[in-house]
Amino acid sequence: MKKIIVGLATAALLCSGANAKTLSVGMSDGAQSMDPYFINNDDTNSILNNVFDSLISFDKDLHTQANLAESWSNPSPKEWIFKLRKGVKFHNGSDFNADDVIFSYDRVRNWDKSAFKSKVNMIESVSKVDEYTIKMVTNKPYPIFLRQLTYVNILDKETLAGKSDQWIGLNPVGTGPYKFDSWNKGDSIKMSANNGYWLGKPTYDKVIFKPLTNAATRVAGILSGAVDIINKVPAVDVAKIKNNERVDFFMVPSLRTIYIHMDQHREKSPFIKSPTGKNPLQDIKVRQAFSYAIDRESITKYIMKGFAVTANQLNASTVYGYDKSIGKFEFNPEKAKALLKEAGYPNGFEIQLDSLNTGTYPKIAQAVASSLTRIGIKVKVNATPGSVFFGKMGKRETSFSLIGWASGSGDASSFLDSIVHSVNPDKGYGKYNWGNFANAKADELIEKSASTMNPEERLKELKEVQKIALAEFGYLPIHYTVNLYAANKKVHFEPRINGYIWAFDVK
Amino acid sequence: MTKYILNRLFHSTLVMFTISFIVFFIMFKAGDPVELMLPPDATQQDVVEMRAALGLDKSFIVQYQKFLSNVAEGNLGNSFIYGQPALDIVFERLPATMELAVIAMIVSILLGIPLGIISSIKPNSILSRIIMFFSLAGISVPVFWTGMILVLIFSVILGVLPSSGRGEVYLFTSAFTWDGIKHLIMPVITLSVFQLALILRLTRTGMMEVLMQDYIKLASAKGVPRKVIVYYHALKNTLIPLITVIGIQFGQLVAFTIVTETIFAWPGTGKLIIDSIQNLDRPIVVAYLLVISFIFVAINFIVDVLYTFIDPRVRV
Repeated sequence: MKKIIVGLATAALLCSGANAKTLSVGMSDGAQSMDPYFINNDDTNSILNNVFDSLISFDKDLHTQANLAESWSNPSPKEWIFKLRKGVKFHNGSDFNADDVIFSYDRVRNWDKSAFKSKVNMIESVSKVDEYTIKMVTNKPYPIFLRQLTYVNILDKETLAGKSDQWIGLNPVGTGPYKFDSWNKGDSIKMSANNGYWLGKPTYDKVIFKPLTNAATRVAGILSGAVDIINKVPAVDVAKIKNNERVDFFMVPSLRTIYIHMDQHREKSPFIKSPTGKNPLQDIKVRQAFSYAIDRESITKYIMKGFAVTANQLNASTVYGYDKSIGKFEFNPEKAKALLKEAGYPNGFEIQLDSLNTGTYPKIAQAVASSLTRIGIKVKVNATPGSVFFGKMGKRETSFSLIGWASGSGDASSFLDSIVHSVNPDKGYGKYNWGNFANAKADELIEKSASTMNPEERLKELKEVQKIALAEFGYLPIHYTVNLYAANKKVHFEPRINGYIWAFDVK
Repeated sequence: MTKYILNRLFHSTLVMFTISFIVFFIMFKAGDPVELMLPPDATQQDVVEMRAALGLDKSFIVQYQKFLSNVAEGNLGNSFIYGQPALDIVFERLPATMELAVIAMIVSILLGIPLGIISSIKPNSILSRIIMFFSLAGISVPVFWTGMILVLIFSVILGVLPSSGRGEVYLFTSAFTWDGIKHLIMPVITLSVFQLALILRLTRTGMMEVLMQDYIKLASAKGVPRKVIVYYHALKNTLIPLITVIGIQFGQLVAFTIVTETIFAWPGTGKLIIDSIQNLDRPIVVAYLLVISFIFVAINFIVDVLYTFIDPRVRV
């Protein structure tokens, strides 16, 4: 009898494919489309990067590196020549060459539903020099060109030409380390190894991405061994993960800053009630008082439970442009009160702090509110869902708002262009400058740095802009978030700074 | 009967038309999905182009007219967020939700009615008290808690049941494969606890009330066997209100599996609709609500017809 059972067990093992190594990843969200140009969000990009390659890619620490472009040169400031990798094949067997690059860049720039236009709108032309050489011309010298190109995955012209948008949205064909197998929406995306991948054979034969949107479900998944890796471990469950001997815990810095906008432009701000009727935030003393009043260390320690890095400037240390010479923000309620008095508000005023109602945002907003209450400011927290919140912010129906910004390109210009530059839709600047911070010198430097090809000179300019914004107390940075992962000890996993999970990394 | 059905059909169409208008209007007013779809560094021009590509630059009336004329061709539009036809996405997800709801309902009925009868015949026995205690717990305990405790015990500690996902699907359901059944056990228990307790308690109350009626006493006096009285005469009269509630509850199950689906990462419509509301994905929200209201309308119709079989006084 025993023999039969052992025999059956062996047979079962063999049937389940003892040799096929499968990696199962529990993600906080799924992909929305298999079309790499349709939607630009981290979860979709992260999954699709396993299937697709781009000309240039990011390494783990967000430095640009060669991918489908083997090498490149920048003969004149606006001109880029890319030598393409030879012998690369798409998953369906067709060859990768210059025509595919031309086709892909044409689609990402001109398709009416492309969500990546902002990544390529500096490109003036893309042309084929020969079968394996591409020339691109930008409309102005563009120092972070290579970083932007990491977003553009390369599609196969032969496969996609003439196909409908819907077909492309369901059938990804790339050159990446994993081939797409199936997509059971809301349940799983399955991939299998591309053994001919140009960087070598992937470690795992099969990869399954599962959207486990509920944090407790992700934790149960990793603890029960149902998945090998999870992202976004909830802070409350970290102790449980650390105590489990089968699971490793990872905490890595991210690209996101949590910070506050202050309306410093309008004479009268809609959600402030001050004794004088004026907008107190126009006065730098009041903004500085706010900065002194907020107990950032306590927010990191108690609200974020230690899973955050207290901010000392606009961008985190992971972002290019971080200034090591800048010290901590001072926490000093007494100085804050004195400054308020000096500014003519000894008894404070009333203000509404707008925030999202998801994640830790409401708790951070409450903590900021209670910090400010101690210096006599009455703060009402108004936490709303994203669909309401962003609409209101866009129309500047706010005086004081808490939000996060992730510099996805890994470069300080992301924050400076969208948030620090004064509002200028025609030039594409200041779209998220919800407090309407405006400084002519900062604007000039931002615009100049956007075309400064000398890296050292450019870094100096970026740092200079940040100094101006901090000296003016234009924003109140609170902290930088961190990414938390858990992985089964049997897999070797190294997280990436941008939070993407690239199965090829996992050994 | 034909006239009745035609009448109902007309009313149902009117109901669904109204729903489509209201939902369309609310979603129109709720905000602009384009802001949520494009990356933060998108320029104003990108926003304008995307809005035009989705037809969102038109006025409400024009958009609704376009929607109606598409509906006439059986097309509910493409999802803004997924880019695929909205109805396809809803129908792709609906079997998973229906499967969960139907099985949970069957379990609740098969256990709830007998247990209700038992506890009504001898309300003071120990067994009845135990049943009533658990039914009270079943009504009071939050679904979320039940689900998480089950996962903790059976997946994390014992490791016997999968913590999430839907198992292997054969034909249209996962209930026909062993892997599928293993995945179904915990979600079904989670979803049926409340329904089971509700049906149990309704059956009990109904039975106790009916058993006090004069015609039951008369039947007893005439010497009709106790079993016949309980399981035929009394039960039949208890069933009428019960069926109404079961009908409503089934609709609720289909529409509100969201919590259970979230805990178990079940690929049903509950999760889809919450995401779509957050993303302001109007085509999916409209398609989903139309399908769900169609199901409600159909259930109500079936319940009405069932009445006529159980209660000869009811005529449709």
